[in-house]
Amino acid sequence: MTIVIKTKNLCRYFGDNEETMVKAADQVNIEIEKGEFTAIIGPSGSGKTTVLHLMGGLDNPTSGEVELSGKNIAKMSGGELCDLRRDHIGFIFQSYNLIPVLSAEENIEYIMLLQGVKASERKKRVKEMLELVGLSGLEDRRPGKLSGGQQQRVAIARAMASRPDIILADEPTANLDSKTGIALLDVMKELNEKHDMTFVFSTHDEKIMSRASRLIHMRDGKVELDERK
Amino acid sequence: MLLIKLAFRNIFRQRRRSLLTALSLTGGYVLSVFSISMQDGSYANAIAFFTEDHSGHIQIHKDDYLDRAKIHKTIDNPNDVAAILDKHPSIATYTTRVFAPALSYSDNGNTPVQVIGVDVLREKQTSRLYQKITGGNYFADRPNDDGYFSAMIGAGVANSLDVGLGDELILISQGADGSIANDIFIISAVIGENNSPDKNTVFLPLSGAQSFLTMYGKVHQFSILLTDIADARDVASELQTSIPGLSVAPWQIVENSFYKTMQADREGNLVMLIIIGIIVFIGVLNTVLMSVLERSREFGVLKAMGSRPSKIVSMITLEVTMLSAMSIVLGLALAIPITYWFSTAGIELPEPVDVGGIKMSHMTGLLTPIVFIVPMIGIFFAAIVVSIFPGLRAANVTPTAAMRSH
Repeated sequence: MTIVIKTKNLCRYFGDNEETMVKAADQVNIEIEKGEFTAIIGPSGSGKTTVLHLMGGLDNPTSGEVELSGKNIAKMSGGELCDLRRDHIGFIFQSYNLIPVLSAEENIEYIMLLQGVKASERKKRVKEMLELVGLSGLEDRRPGKLSGGQQQRVAIARAMASRPDIILADEPTANLDSKTGIALLDVMKELNEKHDMTFVFSTHDEKIMSRASRLIHMRDGKVELDERK
Repeated sequence: MLLIKLAFRNIFRQRRRSLLTALSLTGGYVLSVFSISMQDGSYANAIAFFTEDHSGHIQIHKDDYLDRAKIHKTIDNPNDVAAILDKHPSIATYTTRVFAPALSYSDNGNTPVQVIGVDVLREKQTSRLYQKITGGNYFADRPNDDGYFSAMIGAGVANSLDVGLGDELILISQGADGSIANDIFIISAVIGENNSPDKNTVFLPLSGAQSFLTMYGKVHQFSILLTDIADARDVASELQTSIPGLSVAPWQIVENSFYKTMQADREGNLVMLIIIGIIVFIGVLNTVLMSVLERSREFGVLKAMGSRPSKIVSMITLEVTMLSAMSIVLGLALAIPITYWFSTAGIELPEPVDVGGIKMSHMTGLLTPIVFIVPMIGIFFAAIVVSIFPGLRAANVTPTAAMRSH
């Protein structure tokens, strides 16, 4: 199997004082294989979001390494990290984080614009993505005119539009009602199964845990258990 | 296109704030255009006044005659110089003059005067001497049947000597050869009023003046009018190369005190414009900074998605530039009619203002592209500078920290 992300002795500590230092990630070693539907789970403050951010190059580790498709991202410059995120990682956030002045269609298109994808290809992919997440007909609506579930669907479409190697989703269902959350998870699961898309979630949502093929349990910044179903 | 759309929508996100910022930019632009137009217009009028009145756009003298005028510092080969001037395409016309101080007499008294000998035909084309005649006729270049040359005298001389048209005027001076020069002239015209700059001047036909001052065939000055005054320095420089033995000076050197006063005033105005600019752009900076701080989360998301810091800086710069462009379009809509009105109607000053010896009683604006372009460039340049700091601030946000902010 191809390893998409690998962390080696990954540590992220907050604070300089030994006594008050928070070890959000402490010697974390994880390997994520292509096509996995993985959930990093644990109670609040266990370090799951921190690990997800470190995997995506959104935060810098105190020590240890993160390899994405064989490249050590700790050694990359800010610009290189931006390019890496643009071309290889899709993010889905708990609070959607769409650009409020852009329509659903434009939010999806923007990342492809950064990648330098041709206009005709962008339009084609946007249409495909909107159909995949079930938002055809709502492409001209801005985030303020969409429900939470619809916004998260746009965020999923945006994350996928750049054709990343992996999608990192941070509590994607936390702000959604149960029914909408299930519908979205079904969309993501379908994408995972049909398109072999790799997903890593940080969550404590039972619905995600039940659908995940692998559960990584964290507590106090350490991996407590790594189980494959 | 999407980036322009994004910038445009971000501008209109906080409509009231953007409108106020645009209005302050528009106000600054209109004020700058008006200020530059009025200043340049007033100076253009003053420059046109004295260059076309007497000094010309370029003058040629012997050595340092301009600074230390002496009767013996003459141009001895005026025909050779004239041949060069005749061939130059930028020269519209020129004339030759001689100068000397003299004592004038009549039966009723005496008074010191400045004698200026002018080429009767060419002077008409080069200066406003002909138009300044308030009584009598423009003189001829030959003596009358009795062998006397005509003279045109300033109104001050006419009053001091209590003489009029047809009366005799006796002049005593020093000839170029050191001899005592004296001659009788017949008054053909009176020039100007009692308060005119020419009030103590006596104008003589060139040949008469040369004969009077024993400087046959020699002149003190060539005064040149160009087809375009803007070429004065360049043409002067070219002529200097062609006539190395003489001193060629553009009007900026000839009218040095006026030029220095004008430059000092321009610098003062520039400082005022810079101060206006700084006040306007502090407002713009404040607006952009507020906008950037409010959108920290979005910049965090954009960086998380892979926007390079340079892309974010250029996005902010694009927004400020677009806001500036909209302000300038509005500013042009206001500034063009205002400037047009002031360039045609102008303002009558209650009291004449003395600028470097030139009395200015009427101010009119200048309506040229440069009046609109200079503040435009200034605003765009300042807009780009102003957007750099907020842009860098936005570009350097840490995605995780920015996305936690609200």
